[in-house]
Amino acid sequence: MSTPVLATPAADPAVVSGGPTVGQRLTSFMPLIALVALLAALTIADPDFLTQRSLTAAVRTSAPLVVLAAGATLVVLCGGIDLSIAALCSLSTVFFAMWLPDLGGLTALAVVVAAGAIGAVQGLAHVLLRIPSFIVTLGGLSIFSSVALVISDAGPIRVVDRDATKWLTLYVGGVVPMAFFVAVLVVAAIALVLRLTPVQSWITATGFSESAARLAGTPVDRVKVAAFTVSGACAGLAAVMLVSRNFSGSPTMADNLLLPAVAAIVVGGTAITGGHGSIWRSLVGALVITLLRVGLPIVGVPSAWEQILYGAIIVAAVALTLDRSKVLIIK
Amino acid sequence: MIDAELEPTVTPLSAEVPALEVRGLVKHYPGVKALDGVDLVVRQNEVLGLAGENGAGKSTLLKALVGLVRPDAGEIWVRGKKVRLKSVVDAADHGIGMVFQEQSLVPNLTAAENIVLGSEGPGVRRGMYRWKTMRNLAQQQLDKIGSDIDPLARTDTLTFAERQMVEIAKVLRIEQRTQFAPVIILDEPTSVLESKEIETLFTQVRRLREFASVVFVSHRLDEVLDVCDRVTVLRGGESVGEVAAAGAVPGDLHRMMIGSTGSDDHYHGNASQRSGEPLRPMLEVRGLSGKTFRDVDLDVHAGEIVGIVGVHGSGREDVCRALFGAEPTTAGEVSLDGTVLELSGTRAACAAGIGYVPAERKIEGMVGPMSVADNMTLTKQKSRCNGPLIAPKKQATLVDGWIERLSIRTPHRGTAIQRLSGGNQQKVVLARWLVAGDIRLLLLDHPTRGLDIGARSEVYRLMRELANSGVATVLLADSLEEAIGMSDRILVMSDGRATKEVACPAGGKPTPLDLVKEMV
Repeated sequence: MSTPVLATPAADPAVVSGGPTVGQRLTSFMPLIALVALLAALTIADPDFLTQRSLTAAVRTSAPLVVLAAGATLVVLCGGIDLSIAALCSLSTVFFAMWLPDLGGLTALAVVVAAGAIGAVQGLAHVLLRIPSFIVTLGGLSIFSSVALVISDAGPIRVVDRDATKWLTLYVGGVVPMAFFVAVLVVAAIALVLRLTPVQSWITATGFSESAARLAGTPVDRVKVAAFTVSGACAGLAAVMLVSRNFSGSPTMADNLLLPAVAAIVVGGTAITGGHGSIWRSLVGALVITLLRVGLPIVGVPSAWEQILYGAIIVAAVALTLDRSKVLIIK
Repeated sequence: MIDAELEPTVTPLSAEVPALEVRGLVKHYPGVKALDGVDLVVRQNEVLGLAGENGAGKSTLLKALVGLVRPDAGEIWVRGKKVRLKSVVDAADHGIGMVFQEQSLVPNLTAAENIVLGSEGPGVRRGMYRWKTMRNLAQQQLDKIGSDIDPLARTDTLTFAERQMVEIAKVLRIEQRTQFAPVIILDEPTSVLESKEIETLFTQVRRLREFASVVFVSHRLDEVLDVCDRVTVLRGGESVGEVAAAGAVPGDLHRMMIGSTGSDDHYHGNASQRSGEPLRPMLEVRGLSGKTFRDVDLDVHAGEIVGIVGVHGSGREDVCRALFGAEPTTAGEVSLDGTVLELSGTRAACAAGIGYVPAERKIEGMVGPMSVADNMTLTKQKSRCNGPLIAPKKQATLVDGWIERLSIRTPHRGTAIQRLSGGNQQKVVLARWLVAGDIRLLLLDHPTRGLDIGARSEVYRLMRELANSGVATVLLADSLEEAIGMSDRILVMSDGRATKEVACPAGGKPTPLDLVKEMV
């Protein structure tokens, strides 16, 4: 087939609408600004805060949150939401504690694979039955919590063999907690796959306009199922990290991480409507949330107030990042 | 002719204040001047026709008149007072109401509820519906237009024509808001009506004129001349002229609508259209049926452009989507280059060498925030990858090559596509199907919608060149002239069926009116 050639130069201007506005540029750096501002504020409130010891402690606490938020970010980028991550993470801690005696060193891998498979099932239900991801994962949240309670007899299961998770409690270079290092590795690995393969295009297209993605022949359904699978697997990995810290599995261990994880995603600036954002943003978002968490007691706010803060942060962050031109009707 | 029924005395005195006046209205969208200084006068108790091709600015103008679009410049005057319309409610307060082309009734409410919806007045007391009052209010509205529709019928049990009457009754509620005679805008009210229903509608319009002013928009020029007192013609966002309906013929309007250039010169129709025997059949469609179309047969040969024309609701868009696997089919066989297609989905269609350019470019055609390069390679990922990985150099060479070949004006291949002008966006969307060099059938749904003249003619040239290289093309054109200028053959669809095939060879083109006869 010969190649068509159009020789006439176009008369219209190359670019008709300007690039990002000052406001948009500012919001895109907002998470980093917030992170630095928080560090500064906490240091002023408590000059001892900016020490290696408390910083190390802070990033170690952040590791499970980073991993959870990273996985769920993929689902959000596709235009969906995964509300089951925390419940699945709790269930996975129970799995870990129960399977450890039999599987030994392979337990961590088994838990990640199992959680990934559960995520895939949710993805398939979303895609094949055409149910909104919000509903599928809300159902999942309820089911996983219950299953965790049932198989654990509604109580924590102690992990006696601590060798299996010992590696996560080590330090890289004597400073960086291994758990945080692994979390950053996970983020980097996902980011690398997105950058080097067509997956980034597929996810952005799916999240921005599913009909455009379908009409361009992109594998919309497979991309979504993959996103849920990774989200599930990340919940499994976060569970392993939690067990390594608490030396037990418990059916409610990670339940209070759902709101912080969603907050981390939206604080990072990933659009809740899909199509815009990145996994690195969620890493920064998770650090912001963690600093708030460890910082509140420092400035004297009772921890009971934490949930108010998360709720307010989610609403405020979405209000700032929502592309209202795309959302015609707010449901 | 109905012209004879028009009373010669209805023309209002020129000294009278116009019911509605538009002066120098301007509205820009990125890359397009939708309105470029429109002037319009609607006199009291007059039916004003508004004619113009697609993209002439009719819809934008109407939206501005009911406060859905804020003009960049220009003035709107209502009964001698300058107004700024910020919303539909605002417009209603000034007595301007519109019956939308896409109906705006809530299907699971009764006709009465729909009529008073949003302006319940005494129909609601202490937050509760007063059904009897509401029914009476609705009945009053229906009486105004002399309709015998049961106000307690559920809207989804009514026919399209009846629903339209309900819409008109509803829109007349704005009389409650102002003591003046209202201005009612009817946007393409006849496009899906049958001829008997059209007569009823026209009777209504003439009745409306007794106590209101009407702006009547239609593609069917004979209708416009039938029912209107005067017609204002828009072209390229400007009002280019005004015609007194009495004594005028559709051809007069038509010449004003398309300007001096006929379909033949700016569509590259005759100049480069292929001649001689068609090549082998590329697309063969037999008895294709779906939700909105039945028993459609269609043949497109390699190198041929076949236009499908039909009014709103003819089902042609759905046929196009069905061929791409984006719309379910219930029966029929489709084969491409001798191989029977499954029509199982868009991915299969892409793999088979079928390309589709959707009408809604910004929502369905492109991914706005993504770069030109990512948009161009979205479908044929292999063309920029080595194995599973994107090869940046391969991508750069490929994309830059197509940017140059199609003279796409973009600062860089990494620029977000939403920052380009409409014509350049569309070229990127078209290039998506060309980068792999495996395209065999192109389905183009209004490929020039919203583009300016320059961008249009570039798209036309590209289409022609693709056809010359052996691609089979199905074209749903933006206007009849475009369909006639570009197509080798035209299939007319009406009510979901292919009713007529019209040969459209270079030098032997049918006129738009030939086609209109078949479409209705």
